[in-house]
Amino acid sequence: MAAFTLWWQMHAWRTPEVLASTRFSRPDGDEHLSFSLLLPARHEQAVLDHTIQRLLESTHTDFEIIVIVGHDDPETTEVAEKAASRDPRVRVVVDTHEKKNKPKAMNTALPHCRGDVVGVFDAEDQVHPELLAHVDHAFRTTGADVVQGGVQLINFHSSWYSLRNCLEYFFWFRSRLHLHAQKGFIPLGGNTVFVRTAVLREADGWDPDCLAEDCDLGVRLSSVGKKVVVAYDSDMVTKEETPGSLMSLLKQRTRWNQGFLQVYRKKDWRQLPTFGQRLLARYTLMTPFMQAFTGLIIPLNIAIAVFVDVPVSVAFITFLPAVTALVTFVFEIVGLHDFGKQYGLRVRFVHYLKLVVGGPFYQVLLAGAAVRAVWREQRGQNDWELTSHVGAHLADAEVARDLREDVPA
Amino acid sequence: MTSTLPAVTPAKVPAQRQPAPVARPTGRTTPPLRLRSSRPDLILCGVLLVAILVVQGWNIADYPTLSDDEGTYLAQAWAVQEGRGLAHYTYWYDHPPLGWIQLALLTWIPAALSPESMTVGTMRAAMLVISAASAVLVYVIGRRLSLPRWAAGLGMVLFGLSPLSVVLQREIFLDNLAVMWTLLAFALAASPSRHLWHHFGAGIAAATAVLTKETMLFVLPAVLITMWRHSHRDTRKFAVTGAVTACALIGLSYPLFALLKGELLPGSGHVSLWDGIKYQMTRPGSGFILDQGSGSWGVLQSWLYYDRVLIVGGLAGGLLLLLTWRWSVTARALAGPSFTVVILALVAMRPSGYLPAMYVIQALPFLALVLAGGTASVAHAVLRRWRSEAEHRYLTGGRYALAAVLAISAGAYVVPRWYDGDRTAVTADANAPYRAASKWLSTEVPDPGDTRVLVDDALWLDLVHAGYKPGLGVIWFYKADLDPAVTRTMPRGWKDLDYVVASPTVRRDAVDLPNVKAAIEHSKPVAVFGRGEDRIEIRQIQTASGGVR
Repeated sequence: MAAFTLWWQMHAWRTPEVLASTRFSRPDGDEHLSFSLLLPARHEQAVLDHTIQRLLESTHTDFEIIVIVGHDDPETTEVAEKAASRDPRVRVVVDTHEKKNKPKAMNTALPHCRGDVVGVFDAEDQVHPELLAHVDHAFRTTGADVVQGGVQLINFHSSWYSLRNCLEYFFWFRSRLHLHAQKGFIPLGGNTVFVRTAVLREADGWDPDCLAEDCDLGVRLSSVGKKVVVAYDSDMVTKEETPGSLMSLLKQRTRWNQGFLQVYRKKDWRQLPTFGQRLLARYTLMTPFMQAFTGLIIPLNIAIAVFVDVPVSVAFITFLPAVTALVTFVFEIVGLHDFGKQYGLRVRFVHYLKLVVGGPFYQVLLAGAAVRAVWREQRGQNDWELTSHVGAHLADAEVARDLREDVPA
Repeated sequence: MTSTLPAVTPAKVPAQRQPAPVARPTGRTTPPLRLRSSRPDLILCGVLLVAILVVQGWNIADYPTLSDDEGTYLAQAWAVQEGRGLAHYTYWYDHPPLGWIQLALLTWIPAALSPESMTVGTMRAAMLVISAASAVLVYVIGRRLSLPRWAAGLGMVLFGLSPLSVVLQREIFLDNLAVMWTLLAFALAASPSRHLWHHFGAGIAAATAVLTKETMLFVLPAVLITMWRHSHRDTRKFAVTGAVTACALIGLSYPLFALLKGELLPGSGHVSLWDGIKYQMTRPGSGFILDQGSGSWGVLQSWLYYDRVLIVGGLAGGLLLLLTWRWSVTARALAGPSFTVVILALVAMRPSGYLPAMYVIQALPFLALVLAGGTASVAHAVLRRWRSEAEHRYLTGGRYALAAVLAISAGAYVVPRWYDGDRTAVTADANAPYRAASKWLSTEVPDPGDTRVLVDDALWLDLVHAGYKPGLGVIWFYKADLDPAVTRTMPRGWKDLDYVVASPTVRRDAVDLPNVKAAIEHSKPVAVFGRGEDRIEIRQIQTASGGVR
C-alpha cells in the first residue's frame, strides 16, 4: 500500500520524457478563449485588493473577474466595489445564502459568467501574469475540458509542519495529479482550476453540500469522461501559504478527509468505465484513512519485532513496511532539495532535519485528522467547521484561510 | 602485451592524436530502444547463446575437477531445501546466505523429482541457466552501451567461450550467481528509457549481488558511474538516490537478520556477523600477484594457463579505453566496465590481500566487454577515422585490407588456443576418481548409517544419499577441528572415526588441522583411485591395537 503511494508519488520523475510532459508548453501568442475568473472572498478585505490588482496585470486580453462577497460582510464588499469602479473588467456578485460556504458562493456566480472558461482563485492567491495565456494555449492544443494549474505552498520555513505541508503540495501537484489526469480519474484542486463554462453548467456547478466540492467536481467530470489536463511549471504556480496554526491545519485536514469520505459515499466514481479506474478512485478516496492506519502500524511492527519473542522470519517480515517508509523518506528529502532548487529557495540542513524528525509527528496529525473526520461523518456533522466563526466581528487570517478550499495532498 | 594483442596496439597510436570528428560516422548502428523487437539482435544473440550453452554444457559433470567450495555451497543449498536452516552445521556468517538460498531455489524442482541428483556433478547443469542469463546480459549491456552489433556479439563470445570462462562458469560458485546480478544491475542502470524504477531495480540487483558474494562491493562504484552517465539531468537526483537507497536498504537486511538472531556482535557461546567479517578480512594474505613464488602469482598463472587472451587483452583494452577517454565515444560509453576492470585489477594487486582462485570470475564479463569495446574502437579508427567522401578508392581499399589483416591475425592467434582449451573441456574426464570413491563408499561399507567418515565437501552429498548420517556421520573434514558442535562428539579424537577420504584438498589442509592430520596418520588406505597428486585414498582408521574401531 505504501509502495503504491510511493510509486504514484514519484510518477513525474519516472523518465525525463514524463517530466517534460508535465510542464505547460510555450504559448504561441494566439488567444481565442475568454475567461471568467471567480474570486470568492470572505472577510479578506486586507488581501483582496492586492489579488485583484495582480490578476488585472495578466497579459491575456480577454477576461473578467467576478468577486463573490457575502451580504453580511460589508468590509470586503466595499473593497470589491471600489475595485469594480476602477476597472470595468471587475464585477461583484453578492451571495445571500443564510449559511455560507464556498460552493454555494460559486454557484451563485455561475450564471453571471460570460467567458468560455471559468477559472477559480482564492482571495489571497499570487497569480502569475502569464498564467492565463498558458492555460488558453493548453485548452486549445489539448482539447481539454478542464485544465488544472499548479498550486504551491511556499512558506516551508515557517514551522515544522508547514515544511511537510509544502512538500505534500509539491508531490501532489508536481507529480501525483499528472498520474490521475493520465488515468482519467482526478480529484481537482480548489483553485487555479479552469473549466469550460458549458461543461460546468451541464454538471450543475459545484455540490453545495460537499465539504470537498473541488474533489467532487473532478470526480464527477472524470466519471463522465471529460478530459482533464494538468500542467505544472514552477514559474507559473499559484503561490499560497500554509494554515497559520496546527489546529487550523488539523481542521482543514479533517474537512478534506470528511469531504473525501462524502465523495466516496456519493458513488459517482462508480460510473468510471474501467475496473482499474474504479480501483484507483476507491483507493485515492480512502487514502487518508489508510495513511493514518499505516502511520500507526509501522512503529508497532518494529516494537513487536524487537521486543516480542517471535521467529526470525516473522520479525523480518514486520520490517517490510518500514522499508517502503524509509524509501519514501529518502525521496522526500530529495524532493525538498528539488523544491528548493525550482523555487530558488535556500533549504538549509536544519530543514532536512526538521523534515525527518517531523515525519512521525506529522503522521500522528494526519491520523488524528482522519479519525476526527470519520467521527464527524458518523455523527452527521457535515457543516463547514469554519461557519461557527462567521458571526465573529473580526476576520482573522485563520478563518480566512480556513475558508479557502484547497487540495488535499 | 603487444604479442598477445596484435589487433590493438598498432591502431592505438593514431587514435590518440586528434579529436573525434563532430559528425557521427555512418555504419554504426544505434541501439534500438527495444532490443526485444530487433530481429537481427535476437538472431545473433540466440545463435551465440546456443553455441555457448553447447560448449559449456557438454561434459559439464566431468570437467573440471570437483571443487571443495562447490560441495560446500550445494550442501548448504540442500540444507535449505531440507528445512535444516541456512546450513547443516552452525551457520557462522562466512558468506551472506543469499547465494545458496538462490541455489536451493534453482535446484528445487530437479531435487524434488529425484533427490539423488542433488550432487555436485549433476547439479552443475543448473549453472547453465546462470551462464545463459549472464551471457545474454553481456550482449544487452554491450548494446545499451552503444557498441555495434558485432562488437556486442564479440563480447558475448569472449565471455562465454573463453576456456577460462568455460571452466569457471561450469562450477557451482557463488561468484557466478553474483556476476549475473551485477550484470543485471549494469543493464538496468544503462536502461535506454532511463526509468526511475529501472534505476531503483539496479540498486536492488546490485544489493542482491553483494549479498550473494560480498566481494561485489568493489564493483558498486562502477554501477553508480554507469547510472550517472545514463540518467537524465532533470531526473538524476531521484534516480541515483533511489538506487542508492534501495541498495543500502536491501544490503542492511543482512546485519538486521543477524541482529534479530542476536548474533550481530561477538559474544561467548554463539557465532556472530562481526566475527565472520573479521575472519574474511584477516585471512592470511597470498602475497603480491607479480611476486614469483607467492600464492597470488600461482593463482594468476592458473588463470593464464586457461586463457591469456581475455585477461591480457581485456586489461589492455581497459587501458586503451581509459587513455582514449577524451577522443573516443566508445571509451566514454564503456566507462562502467572499464572502471570495473581497473578496480578489480587494483584490488588484486594488494600486496597483503588474499586472492582466491574464483576472484577472476567477477572480472570476466567486464574484461570481455572492454576487450570488445577496444576492438570496436580500433576497427572504427582503421575504417572510418579521417575518412572523407572524396577519399581515394585505393585508400579505402587499404583500410579494409588492414582491418582484414588485423582480424585474421587476431583470429589466427586466438582460435587454435581456444579450440584446444575448449576441446579439453568437452572431452576430458577429471572426476573419475571422485565417482569411483563415491561408489566404493556407497557399496563396500557395510553399515553406512553407523559409520563416521571425514570427507571433503565435494563428496559429502553423495554420501548423504548413500545413507550416511548428515553432519555427524559423514563429516566435512575441517569441522572435526573447527566446529565445537562436532568436536564435542569426538571425545577420543581420531579414534572416534572410521574412515577418512584423503582427497587432494584434505591432504593439503590437514597440515593445519590436528584431528584430520591424526586421522590420516592413524589410518591405512583400503582403496585408492587415480594416480599421483590427484589420487583419492579411502583410508580406514586403525586403532592402537592394530584393529579397526
